[in-house]
Amino acid sequence: MALPITTWRVIVAAWKHFTRNIWLALTTIFVLTLALLSVNVLLGVNVVLDQSVHLLEQKIDVSVYFAADTPDAVLEEAKFFMTSLPQVDSAEVIPASQALDAFKKAHAGDQKILSALGEVDGNPLGATLIIKAKQTTDYPFLLQALDNPQFGSFIESKNYDDHAETIASVQEISRSVRLFGYGLIGIFALFSLLIVFNTIRVAIYTQREEIGVMRLVGASNSYVRMPFVVEGILLAGLSLLFSAGIVMMVTAYADPKIQPMFDGTPNILLTYFSTHLPWIVGIEGGALAFLVAISSWAAVGKYLRK
Amino acid sequence: MITLSHVSKMYSPDIHCLKDVDLNVEHGEFVSIVGQSGAGKTTLAKLLIAEERPTRGNITIGGWDITKIPRRDIPFLRRQIGVVFQDFKLLPQKTVFENVAFALEVAGEPSRRIRDVVPQVLKIVGLEEKAVRFPRQLSGGEQQRVVIARSLVHRPKILLADEPTGNLDTINTREIIDLLLKINAFGTTIVLVTHNREVVNALRRRVITLADGRIASDHAEGKYLLQT
Ligand SMILES: Nc1ncnc2c1ncn2[C@@H]1O[C@H](COP(=O)(O)OP(=O)(O)OP(=O)(O)O)[C@@H](O)[C@H]1O
Ligand SMILES: [Mg+2]
Repeated sequence: MALPITTWRVIVAAWKHFTRNIWLALTTIFVLTLALLSVNVLLGVNVVLDQSVHLLEQKIDVSVYFAADTPDAVLEEAKFFMTSLPQVDSAEVIPASQALDAFKKAHAGDQKILSALGEVDGNPLGATLIIKAKQTTDYPFLLQALDNPQFGSFIESKNYDDHAETIASVQEISRSVRLFGYGLIGIFALFSLLIVFNTIRVAIYTQREEIGVMRLVGASNSYVRMPFVVEGILLAGLSLLFSAGIVMMVTAYADPKIQPMFDGTPNILLTYFSTHLPWIVGIEGGALAFLVAISSWAAVGKYLRK
Repeated sequence: MITLSHVSKMYSPDIHCLKDVDLNVEHGEFVSIVGQSGAGKTTLAKLLIAEERPTRGNITIGGWDITKIPRRDIPFLRRQIGVVFQDFKLLPQKTVFENVAFALEVAGEPSRRIRDVVPQVLKIVGLEEKAVRFPRQLSGGEQQRVVIARSLVHRPKILLADEPTGNLDTINTREIIDLLLKINAFGTTIVLVTHNREVVNALRRRVITLADGRIASDHAEGKYLLQT
């Protein structure tokens, strides 16, 4: 019947208690913020590692060198065939003339090679077909597919630089970082849970007389509990806000620093955090509010038995 | 109004605190409960407000069997029994008005009703002038009157007072007892737990003596019989 007024009184009580025990509240916020930061740091590291793997994977391709006298029709045929495979992301023909220019450029300082090139009639190089697979695991299949009777005989050599070892080691690093991170988060979560539970217990201990009075004058258990739960949610919300601020500052600082590592792709962290904002806020905030609310609920329970 | 039949209370197998207590208090009575320290008086009071539960027997309050009262119903019981305990303090950071209003707030009463009721009960205890003071600015007797005012806000049918004059001098004690008599005259049943021999003898009302967890005597117009 008097639900709105009760809700209002609960909120007022929570706010009064928060301001009256401001130092206790600040300590709790500090610990909760640290716990959230540890989660977000792990997320950031994860993004950087994922991006590295992604970048490396993009650099993998197969270069197929055709003989110098390969007719254009065969080249087109080869390109068409490879593109039509579902595993292929892209296939691109570099014509013989471009291949020669590139070759000359690459060996610009080497007189011997250049003069040898001059002695040859015409262009000794053939066209090159560069194929990228959608997934790194598809390359062995693509290499087999190139043994096609229609153009296989024109192929002089294939060059598959798979970066496989680099990718494997980056993946290995990200696995152990993740494992370490989960451990760290676990420890942080445990510590913050203990500290927060204790803080709330202290806070409630300072209120025990008021709780006793409330109960003797006929306050329902939930009326006694709700202000503490509401205060807990307030603390969780503030911690979320603080950690978000710090994450934003760190992101603004770190993004330009890591930009060169990623071929100049800007704002890698910012992009990640902003596109995943609803998820991060929802999960971190929800988990935190839930934890704090449950601790408050449980801690008051001690004074409500009987 | 209050009926106890064969009530026993054990805190643990070796602490047998009330033993087979039978008691009946009529509507509008003023009953004093006396007895030596440890006789079980406070335990009896706690059973009446369901702060403790009887190990055996039945307790009925105003026709409501509270022996096995569910926890969620306890607040409603508490709103029907005004409680004044010796160690049942006022909240120091609230004014007299706020302390009294608190009892209505926690029950979800609307603000308008609070503004009506609080001055009324403060008037009954004679403290309407001191509504904006804090408890530390009041004498012990005045503080206890605020507690009584607070216990009256729900217009309880029963007022339960456990040593309400424990820390008070003779004059303040007199005032509190007069106040209880006045409230009783309005029709509220009063259960008074006390050590004070003069109070009981001056009251000339029903006196129940507890000794070692049993009712040792029950006199309609009694005197404090125990020697201390
Ligand atoms: N929560 C409890 N747990 C265990 N024993 C208790 C508890 N409360 C009271 N007792 C015991 O029960 C007995 C009766 O206690 P009670 O408080 O009812 O006495 P009392 O008559 O009110 O005494 P006093 O005049 O000193 O206030 C005592 O022996 C006490 O030690
Ligand atoms: Mg006692």
